[in-house]
Amino acid sequence: MNDRPDARELLQAARDAFTAEILPALAHELRYTGLMVANAMAIVQREIEAGDAAARAEWERLGKLFSKRPEPLAGDVLHGALASYNQRLANDIRAGRFDGRERAAMLENLRRTTEEKLAVSNPKALQGR
Amino acid sequence: MTDLNESLTRKRLAGFITRAAGARDATIVALERMSGGAVQENWALDVELDGELRRWVLRTDARAPVRESLTRAQEFAVLKVAHAANVLAPEPLYLCADPAVTGQQFFIMQRRPGVAAGHRVTRDPELVPDPARLARELAANLARLHRIKPPHPELGFLKTVLARDNIAHYRSYLDTLSRAYPVLEWGLRWCEIKAPASEETTFIHRDYRTGNYLVNDGHLAGLLDWEFPAFGNPLEDVGWMCARCWRFARPDLAVGGVAKLEDFIPEYERASGRHVSRTDLVYWQVMAHLRWAVIALQQVERHLSGADRSLELALTGHIIGQLELEILDLTEQT
Repeated sequence: MNDRPDARELLQAARDAFTAEILPALAHELRYTGLMVANAMAIVQREIEAGDAAARAEWERLGKLFSKRPEPLAGDVLHGALASYNQRLANDIRAGRFDGRERAAMLENLRRTTEEKLAVSNPKALQGR
Repeated sequence: MTDLNESLTRKRLAGFITRAAGARDATIVALERMSGGAVQENWALDVELDGELRRWVLRTDARAPVRESLTRAQEFAVLKVAHAANVLAPEPLYLCADPAVTGQQFFIMQRRPGVAAGHRVTRDPELVPDPARLARELAANLARLHRIKPPHPELGFLKTVLARDNIAHYRSYLDTLSRAYPVLEWGLRWCEIKAPASEETTFIHRDYRTGNYLVNDGHLAGLLDWEFPAFGNPLEDVGWMCARCWRFARPDLAVGGVAKLEDFIPEYERASGRHVSRTDLVYWQVMAHLRWAVIALQQVERHLSGADRSLELALTGHIIGQLELEILDLTEQT
């Protein structure tokens, strides 16, 4: 087991130092790059904090959508399984298999997945909608 | 990045300008890389031509050109046609197809005054004191641009892309990726179901949006970035101009973050004689987000493949979710 601070805590400390001390001292032409670095660190931090929860919820939803009872998975196996379910979903959507009655359930799944993704990528985009 | 200021390059460039302008003497007074343009580079070029100061822009290829972008020679031809059609655009002056001068193809155009940066145009009321007027100018200018029609003797190299061509093109790109994008697939399927039965075909700019036009004294002063034009449905440009992804600081203002739809659409309809229904507008707004998502994925791929590593390209991957959310919102309205 690694020592504290763990990855999340260490990243937080690094980001705090970067935004409080380095960013304000950057020359004008480096400011945009500095902001991008801070943004990238924030995304990583949220990704670490979010863990597998969203992926597990997505796995449940996709199981229902395809009328399967998926067994609980974790880690790389979960992500691999999700990728193949999403490939199937994409193919089915393109082929028009969700044009009819199942459209609402499909869209509900897509919306949830998109919101969960944005909670990591860009939580501001979820505000005020 | 090319260094045009390397002394021999600078000398060859001055020689080219002298010959192209039919002048006795051209002295480069200033030559400086301008911001913006990850794909092409723009350099501010001040030249004393027979003793008279000229302010120009030199536009040249960067290292790794993206697919679907025109060559500089084609872009020069497009600018000539647009300029002749009274579209507000920098006047193109000299094309240099000979790579021996700077190492790349380039052309020189007039430098117009003004501010283009989207985050400033949408944030600073002093820049745009009368947003409705600017929106009307954008609409009238777009209508002029759409008066250029195929076939056109100078523009034979342009592709024709109508709604279904766009859909097929984006799908074939998604098929090259290692993961699936179900929301984009849904947007494409929706566009396929709702595709217009018949479409008008005109010249289209395909990047007509805030960030790509100059505002000077509160007026539209010129349209920049002529890399992606085609022949296609003119409403594609209308949808791109009004897409949420190009509103910068003001997502509440539908027309490029500067004005309301009613400041833009009626003027476009009046100047073009074309009707833009609410359904048409939503259709092409969805298409705009699909297109931007595909371009964003291509940019991420440039980073991931190692062809062009950059944090900016990498972070583009994290805007896909916002585009997807907008696609879901728009397609669920109708």
